[in-house]
Amino acid sequence: MSKTSGSRRKGPLAAARNLWRYRDLVGRMTARNLKVKYKRSVLGFFWTLVNPLMTVTILVGIFSYVVRVEIEAYWAFLISGYFVWNFLGQTLSSATYVLREYGQLSRAVSFPKEAPILAAALSRLVEFTIEMVLVLVIVAVFRHGDLPASFAWIPLLVVIQVLIGLGLALPVATLAAFYHDVEHAIPILLTTLFYLSPVFYSADLVPESVRALYMLNPLAGLLTLFQSVIHEGQAPPPGLLLEVGVFSVMLLALGYTVFNRFEPLIAEVI
Amino acid sequence: MDRDIAIRCRGVTKRFHYYEHRTSTLRELFIRSVLRRPITVKAPLFTLSEFDLTVRTGESVGLIGPNGSGKSTLLRLIAGIYHPTEGTVETQGRVAAVIELGAGFHDDLTGAENVGFYGSVMGLTRRDLEDRFDDIVEFSGIGPFIDVPLKYYSSGMRARLAFAVSVCLEPDILLIDEVLAVGDEEFRERCLARLSELRARGTTLLVVSHELENLTDLCSRAVWIDGGTSRAEGATREVADAYRASAG
Repeated sequence: MSKTSGSRRKGPLAAARNLWRYRDLVGRMTARNLKVKYKRSVLGFFWTLVNPLMTVTILVGIFSYVVRVEIEAYWAFLISGYFVWNFLGQTLSSATYVLREYGQLSRAVSFPKEAPILAAALSRLVEFTIEMVLVLVIVAVFRHGDLPASFAWIPLLVVIQVLIGLGLALPVATLAAFYHDVEHAIPILLTTLFYLSPVFYSADLVPESVRALYMLNPLAGLLTLFQSVIHEGQAPPPGLLLEVGVFSVMLLALGYTVFNRFEPLIAEVI
Repeated sequence: MDRDIAIRCRGVTKRFHYYEHRTSTLRELFIRSVLRRPITVKAPLFTLSEFDLTVRTGESVGLIGPNGSGKSTLLRLIAGIYHPTEGTVETQGRVAAVIELGAGFHDDLTGAENVGFYGSVMGLTRRDLEDRFDDIVEFSGIGPFIDVPLKYYSSGMRARLAFAVSVCLEPDILLIDEVLAVGDEEFRERCLARLSELRARGTTLLVVSHELENLTDLCSRAVWIDGGTSRAEGATREVADAYRASAG
């Protein structure tokens, strides 16, 4: 039996169970995202790589030869974090329109609105995984000369990365369902965040006097972890790992709470 | 809730107040806070107020009423798409709603892929879907077009497929909103036949329709909704006659 009333909201456990029941839907939405994106293009998946590849080439060129950033094997440093940033940025941009994409469906069928948000992150994760494998192969061969043991930490870091991505995407998608402004604000915010995050420079280059403040940016810790594991080939600093891990869980809890509070209204407003 | 009750709405009130109480764009925020002028209400406020309805399992109930009286809102509340502002809506069993035919179909996917997608939105597992797939294709009468992307379908074919998916998924409660006028004569006959079949098998039906003749054939009981409240309730023929008399 199912019962709905104005005041009742699902607890996280009930919501997780409900989402599990709809896992097939999440899978189909993920597959659809990828299918629609690459349908009717001859080069298909290759296009996902073109944009980041261009950006990476330009950034490497500029910061190795023009504005010299004093980092050894700068190219390896850049690709250690760039794709992580790309995953988060693209997940957030899709969050601004993904609920509206399923607007008509939302008014015809009742389904958990987490599903399209989760599917947006998952389809990005599929692309990220392929990009990451390429990065790891290239860095292992051309920088380390063998497979560093530190690479074993990457799955854990990716889990943290996805938690952070969802923790941000859930409230952003909710807000975007109510306010169209979000669609315009997010690209600006992402550009700002790109410069405020250690993607093309390392966090130790930030003056020590402001570093504590700088590290409040949730992405700073995550990117630093990826860079130490991939570029330096060293185990992640345990303190930082714990900090970022705990933070990611808290962020997801908070983001989910906001989403859950407004979820019942989403079908009416989009 | 008793086992033999499929749907129970108690004291259900639904208000849409988004344009009234909330600022939804920066421009409105500016008008309201800087110019201090009230914002005109943009959307009509279709409401249900203090609505009660009990439908027993296996019963077929028709909903009659003019446009904007709250019929579709009621169906959406029962389907769990909207949540009531006040009161409670309880349902027993799986609910399928045919509200906008083909809403949520994707043009780029084939008929078969859309059937899969729709089934999974309704919460069906892959196995359930596989069991019913042939039935859906046969009932829709779409034939080989099932493997063609939806953008090459005629609007009639889309409607056929959408209707086929909804009725073949064998829900415990089926909500139908003004979609009986779909497709050609032959398909309509088949829809009505399938609905009678479902009813005979114990599916609970709640049907909104302006075609009072069909409604009288299909439903034993009807509710006349006007202005968000129940104006009359009883045997379909009597309620339909009363409604006709008032409209005529």
